[in-house]
Amino acid sequence: MNDKDKLKTAHPSLLRRKISYVAIIIFLFFTLLLVRLAYLQLYKGDELRLRSETNSIRLRKIIAPRGVIMDVRGLIIADNTPSFNAFYVPNRTRSYQQIRDDLIQIYQQRSLEIPREMSKKSLPPPFVSQRLDAALSRQKLAVIEANSHLLPGVFIEVVPVRKYPYGEMMAHVIGYVGEISREQLARDISGHYSSGDFLGKFGLEKELEEFLRGQAGAEQAEVNAVGKEVRVLGKMEPIVGYNAILTIDLSLQQAAWNALSGKSGAVVVMDPRDGAILAMVSSPSFDPNLFSQGISTRAWSKLASDPLHPLENRAISGQYPPASTYKVVLAAAALEEGLATPDTAYNCNGEYEMGNRKFRCWRREGHGRVNLHRAIVESCDVYFYNLGKIIGVDTIARYAQYFGLGEKTGIDLPQEKKGRVPTKKWKKERFKAVWHPGETISISIGQGYNLVTPLQLANLYAALANGGKLYRPRIVKKIIDSDGRVYREYQPELLSQTPISEKTIQIINRALWGVVNEQGGTALASKRSEKDMSGKTGTAQVAGIARTGETIKYRVSGRRLKDHAIFVGFAPADKPEILVAILIEHAGAGGGAVAAPIAKKLVDAYFLMSQKESLTTIERPAASFASAPQLSYPGVDKR
Amino acid sequence: MKMDRRLIRNFNWPLTVLVLGICTVGLINIYSAGHSLSPLSQEPYYIKQLKWIIIGIIFMIITFLIDYRTITRQAYLIYTVTIILLILVFVFGKTVQGAQRWLSFAGFTFQPSELAKLAIILVLARFFEDRGIDEKRRLRDLVIPFLLMGLPFVMILKQPDLGTALMLCAIFMFIVFFVGVYRKSLLLGAGALITMAPLAWHLLKDYQKQRLLTYLNPERDPLGAGYHAMQSIIAVGSGKLTGKGYLAGTQTQLRFLPEQQTDFVFSVLAEEWGFAGAFFVLILLVLQIFLGLKIAAGARESSGAIIAYGVTVSIALGVFVNIGMVLGLLPVVGVPLPFLSYGGSSILVLMMGVGLLLNVSGRRFLFHG
Repeated sequence: MNDKDKLKTAHPSLLRRKISYVAIIIFLFFTLLLVRLAYLQLYKGDELRLRSETNSIRLRKIIAPRGVIMDVRGLIIADNTPSFNAFYVPNRTRSYQQIRDDLIQIYQQRSLEIPREMSKKSLPPPFVSQRLDAALSRQKLAVIEANSHLLPGVFIEVVPVRKYPYGEMMAHVIGYVGEISREQLARDISGHYSSGDFLGKFGLEKELEEFLRGQAGAEQAEVNAVGKEVRVLGKMEPIVGYNAILTIDLSLQQAAWNALSGKSGAVVVMDPRDGAILAMVSSPSFDPNLFSQGISTRAWSKLASDPLHPLENRAISGQYPPASTYKVVLAAAALEEGLATPDTAYNCNGEYEMGNRKFRCWRREGHGRVNLHRAIVESCDVYFYNLGKIIGVDTIARYAQYFGLGEKTGIDLPQEKKGRVPTKKWKKERFKAVWHPGETISISIGQGYNLVTPLQLANLYAALANGGKLYRPRIVKKIIDSDGRVYREYQPELLSQTPISEKTIQIINRALWGVVNEQGGTALASKRSEKDMSGKTGTAQVAGIARTGETIKYRVSGRRLKDHAIFVGFAPADKPEILVAILIEHAGAGGGAVAAPIAKKLVDAYFLMSQKESLTTIERPAASFASAPQLSYPGVDKR
Repeated sequence: MKMDRRLIRNFNWPLTVLVLGICTVGLINIYSAGHSLSPLSQEPYYIKQLKWIIIGIIFMIITFLIDYRTITRQAYLIYTVTIILLILVFVFGKTVQGAQRWLSFAGFTFQPSELAKLAIILVLARFFEDRGIDEKRRLRDLVIPFLLMGLPFVMILKQPDLGTALMLCAIFMFIVFFVGVYRKSLLLGAGALITMAPLAWHLLKDYQKQRLLTYLNPERDPLGAGYHAMQSIIAVGSGKLTGKGYLAGTQTQLRFLPEQQTDFVFSVLAEEWGFAGAFFVLILLVLQIFLGLKIAAGARESSGAIIAYGVTVSIALGVFVNIGMVLGLLPVVGVPLPFLSYGGSSILVLMMGVGLLLNVSGRRFLFHG
């Protein structure tokens, strides 16, 4: 035997000894199992047999009330309301199906609506409470109470259900809740959810889910043969969710909603000093209360198939051509790159020729000779065609990006879109085609491939208003517990300082003041008596330009789409504290005529309010959110 | 391949018959466990299990026919394939109840973490084969084997599958004890592992922590694991000496038991067949394990001994952990009961393990040292 063989070969005696050690360990393991088995089956057998025969331990989940959402003043926007649900715990005397059929019969006799969930076929396990019917009407409640002798074991439970007192007005910001989907349940590894749970599906309900949801409790109780609770064996109290306080001011929100009434569009009101959203409205809207107990298929398909897309939050998900509001980007680029001075002037005779194509100015008779200031004030298209041509598409794009266009602003709401800032490279990748010089002309007045969301537009002008700071727009101010203690506070977050000189910003801001207050300005309709508002109008063409140069008007269901009206404005001009961005779809008239007056209304409302406030704050020094209305649910732990 | 006549002559019939017997008991029991479960539209569990057992027998024959020394030589390849499968689980894996453990192709789902148990036994057999049995082995000589075990361990823990990951760790420790290590090093290593436990705690998912805490204090969670453990104890105990009769276990048929066709299949057995039935099955399992250890003791080479020992120990650990859990002695971690729990991957890998046992057993006289 050589050395290698010796190594490879087992040492019989040593190995056997080790194996016998392991055999002894395994033998001991099995003896332990056997002893335990004998203890349970032989010693404890009688007792456990009895327990298995009377095994009637009911499990009941106790739903935690969701946290409340409040506006900046503590007014409640999303709340919980008690809903009466009928439950049944299947037991040995009667199965779920039997009791369900009995209840259906009772409903039918009184021609009451039979809920969809009652037609489910699955067989639920015994002693786990099953919901029979939810959101019972007064009538149904009375019927069940009156027939309780026919429905042994059926009990009514009060469950907190989401309620949105402001309905449509806040729908897109707050969002809604819905029953957890099968996929979501499969993906949930936190163990927070079980089937039938409701969770945030849209808007802040979704964004703040982890704070709002709280933690469900549970109760284990022994029940008798007809399902009546005999003894509580174990109970875990639910923990109520955290409350959220928003930067939204309900009175401004209301004003914005009223101003938009009946129109399609969006309004964003922002504090340009720190990016706080004071109001955000999208129209048309929907009633989020429809979702609170599970939306019916009919109501859902009606909402989802509506050609006006009421479920979309146009303020952050709607993408539109910025139109003339984009001109400030070109002005900034031209001044910063040294391609123009405030005195640079061009002659406008109503159209601009490039190659064999003619680009019109919105004013057919032309503006005559205009400098930069007047070009912004009167929104001369030809002036910016000229600027665009010398700046070039990629430099325009760079400045647009300085102002946050083409990127999500990062607002704390789901489903934000990022808009589009076209470049030569983008077109090559997207269409496999080179950039056409004529396309630069289109984008110079914010048409063509340009797309922005109303929120991006607001943020762009906020950066002008505050001297070049780009903030992350935010809508959540803080998260507090039910005792009012602050759990998390959201501070203003500076995304970037735009690399644009103070001088350039001053020149542009002076022109924006002129737009509202100077002779010939396009937004004179928003002029306040204080003469302290600045802004810019825009009229976005909802049309395409065919290769032949012809304009194609889009048609939707036979009706020609009209232009969108846009206005972005802020006040006071010298020290802005409020900014309003308004977009009205298919307004049929320019931003100056339709959107600007709405902005004036909102700004007026804001200053009227802050005047009142400065009076009231003297009487009420520390208006704290700790005094926010408290929800009390018996037996619910407060967080 | 030339078949040696002695391979047939030395065929370990007792082990084969015993394993097939246990599988049959398992099938009968799964029929009862699934009796009240499977909706009519779905293929019943016992049929699916039967199919897996048949596939398993084919795999068993294949692993028996290829000389285990040939298999051992390919151990690193088998190990690498297993690691790749575990990576695939992360990329394409199917998520069930929050855990990503399954790979599915062509209508079959497979759990690579089960295969990892076999792979780690083979790779350790390969590693220690040349180094032999050595009572003076130092801790630094164990770094590579530890890493070989650690990689799949962490991957399985992340799936998350705490039970299987800990099984891997236990198999490793048993094999290290077997191949020998300096006694001080053994103590040092054990100490190091214990100090690492808090670190591992951070790797656990919330629900896994929850389960461990529930084990320490069942009152914590009246709805979850505490409830399962309690219902299982009631089921087992209520079987008394002779059981409630086949298909007549109230706990089982009324579906008080969680996962009654997989992890809690032994409670079904104990409820319906009583102490007599449970004791009988325990004896069968113990016999199987002792036959396995006997094969290890009679192996001609250290690699064969390590393989036979490793496979047997992994089966024994599975039995102990699963039944310990069912009887409320151990926390509720998802470890299947070998040969008896419903589950394709588990059966397939077990049958390959049995194939290896038969392999080592049949070739103990075939070559001369």
